[in-house]
Amino acid sequence: MKQLNFSFSTKLTFDNYVHEHSFALRTMPIESSVQHIIGCELNISPFISVCNTTDAFGNTVTSGYIRDNHRFLDFEIKGKAEVNPESPKTDFMPCYAFQSKYTAPDKDLTEFYKGLSAECRGTSAFDRTEYFSDRLSDTIEYSKGVTDTKTTAADAFALKKGVCQDFSHIMLSLLRADGIPCRYIAGLACCDGETHSWIEFWDGGKWVGFDPANNCPVNEDYLVLSQGRDFGDCAIDRGVMFGEYTKQLQLITSHLASAY
Amino acid sequence: MKTEIRTAAQGAVPTAPSADAAEINELLRRYGVKFGIYKNGQFKEQLFPFDPIPRIIEAEDFKAIEKGLIQRVDALNRFLFDIYHEKNIIHDGIVPEDFVYISSGYLPQCEGLTPPENIYSHISGIDLVQGKDGVWYILEDNLRIPSGASYPLIARELTRATSPATFSGGAIIDNRNYSKLLKETMDFVNRGGINAILTPGRYNAAYFEHSYLAELTGATLVQNDELFVEDNMLWHKTYSGGKTRIGALYRRISDEYLDPLTFEPSSLIGIPNLMEAYRSGNVAIINTPGNGVADDKGIYYFVPKMIEYYLGEKPILHNAPTYLPFYKDDLEYVLGNFEKLVIKDVAEAGGYGVVFGRDLSEEKLEEFRNTLIKEPRRFIAQEVIDFLDLPIIEDGGQVMRKADLRAFVLSGEKTKVWASGLTRFSRNPDSFVVNSSQGGDFKDTWVLSR
Repeated sequence: MKQLNFSFSTKLTFDNYVHEHSFALRTMPIESSVQHIIGCELNISPFISVCNTTDAFGNTVTSGYIRDNHRFLDFEIKGKAEVNPESPKTDFMPCYAFQSKYTAPDKDLTEFYKGLSAECRGTSAFDRTEYFSDRLSDTIEYSKGVTDTKTTAADAFALKKGVCQDFSHIMLSLLRADGIPCRYIAGLACCDGETHSWIEFWDGGKWVGFDPANNCPVNEDYLVLSQGRDFGDCAIDRGVMFGEYTKQLQLITSHLASAY
Repeated sequence: MKTEIRTAAQGAVPTAPSADAAEINELLRRYGVKFGIYKNGQFKEQLFPFDPIPRIIEAEDFKAIEKGLIQRVDALNRFLFDIYHEKNIIHDGIVPEDFVYISSGYLPQCEGLTPPENIYSHISGIDLVQGKDGVWYILEDNLRIPSGASYPLIARELTRATSPATFSGGAIIDNRNYSKLLKETMDFVNRGGINAILTPGRYNAAYFEHSYLAELTGATLVQNDELFVEDNMLWHKTYSGGKTRIGALYRRISDEYLDPLTFEPSSLIGIPNLMEAYRSGNVAIINTPGNGVADDKGIYYFVPKMIEYYLGEKPILHNAPTYLPFYKDDLEYVLGNFEKLVIKDVAEAGGYGVVFGRDLSEEKLEEFRNTLIKEPRRFIAQEVIDFLDLPIIEDGGQVMRKADLRAFVLSGEKTKVWASGLTRFSRNPDSFVVNSSQGGDFKDTWVLSR
């Protein structure tokens, strides 16, 4: 068990005024058997009233609407959580066993999977995940700015480059092809100045976290913000707005550290 | 097949005089009763031609259809609740999970969501055909946003105007109550506020229908830029800068475009955060998002089983004999009997992806066989039903053509079948495909009161 202090903030700045801006945030860490949220505060500027709902995947969705002209949207969460990987989560949805929009493999990724599957001697979900992840780190280079939020597993695999989100998507694609249900995680990790992404695979009745971008199992230095089939279900912030110029600049900072 | 002509000839039920056909079609044109089709990236609007000889359904016959349709739609609604909650029908091995979770109509975002009054399909368009032996068969269930009710409605209106005497005796059940049924359905699930019909706009295939139904039910016809979600409630902007709450939204756009923050992010016709308002129980969405999993062509095969499973009853109406290549025995049968079967791609609708085995060349047949073996889940195969021909007017005389019937079932406090329906036929004497998107024409459907 470990106590973590966390903070995360996003500053969205628009080139010109925007209005009728609807947004949905998935920034409130999920309360679960692995992580108990001791306290969490959400601040949004400009000041408006927001609503919280829980989506089908168990995420808290904070939604809001800014009707009048504005040039920025800032939000920040701050809090403390107790993390205990010894008591794993057991919530399940059948869709996690099937490929989703971002993870559907193309021919090359299918071939890659077939090769891995034939080589891998391990039979347990953990062994296979570890082996696939090993081979993935040999094949894909961690590289920023090459991919974006629309990049699918097949796209990133073709580029042989990507960031944590891409590693997660390829990993999910491989595991699902292998018959292992798994899900996408967006969250915060120690020693990472931005949001991070990793995966959880279903291991005979419980979820086990694994970080393919760092090729290591997940320990108590990870905090889950949202979960789902792929990035599409987990986006930290999504919005729709009107304006002449909606070009935007997004600055993200996050901090996660031991509370002791 | 002689029933219609005989009844008409005996004078029990006069058909609308054929001389009026041109006049009614002219009126339909002036009213803008059109059907838009996108083909090869081009939008083409065409008239939906009306044939003046109605399909006539005898009172006895309709009673049986009515009972069967109510039973079917009730079972489909039960199935949808089950799929998005406990999934007992899968656990009990009645429906294989593949058919549910791979279906494009299944939306995991709707898991655990319960719509107001547990209704998933408020307006169901069930397609039937009558065999030459008089038996009615279900061809497909349309639960997403079935269109078509407005066409027999306005055709009846215009026929009544040109030939009032035909309808004065009360022998034909008045079909004007559709608007009442639809309003009741909306009112029953309304969460507080007005009823609204959401249209993607005038370039939609069924725009005439959207505007006509709004006019008849008193619902407000809206487009997405007039709507917004605030405080998890759906609002309609008023001209004075204020807002009016919407309690029931009869949306005529597909699930995937409904809310760009939950579904397809690039949708420009949706309402951001509509799903949050819905999830909070502040608005009813008609029909309920995610209900397409029950009208999947693959799921169709299992509907008779659903009726037994949920209602403990024998199905009153039969499916057309259907094979699922997913099952090995069925696959072998299909591969050996291609020429007798019609093969349907489960992902397609509107008459697209329908192939008659007998029309395929040797080469195409071989290609199709391989596709079928590779992707058995993608297809269903059905025996070609030799369905009843109906008389239509062509070049001033009568000829016989294949026709189907789309019956409308409305689920509110009770499940009710509208005593009318859209009869579609193909002018092409060799065609069995009657979908409007494939150039079919339509007839009014008269249900007799006794």
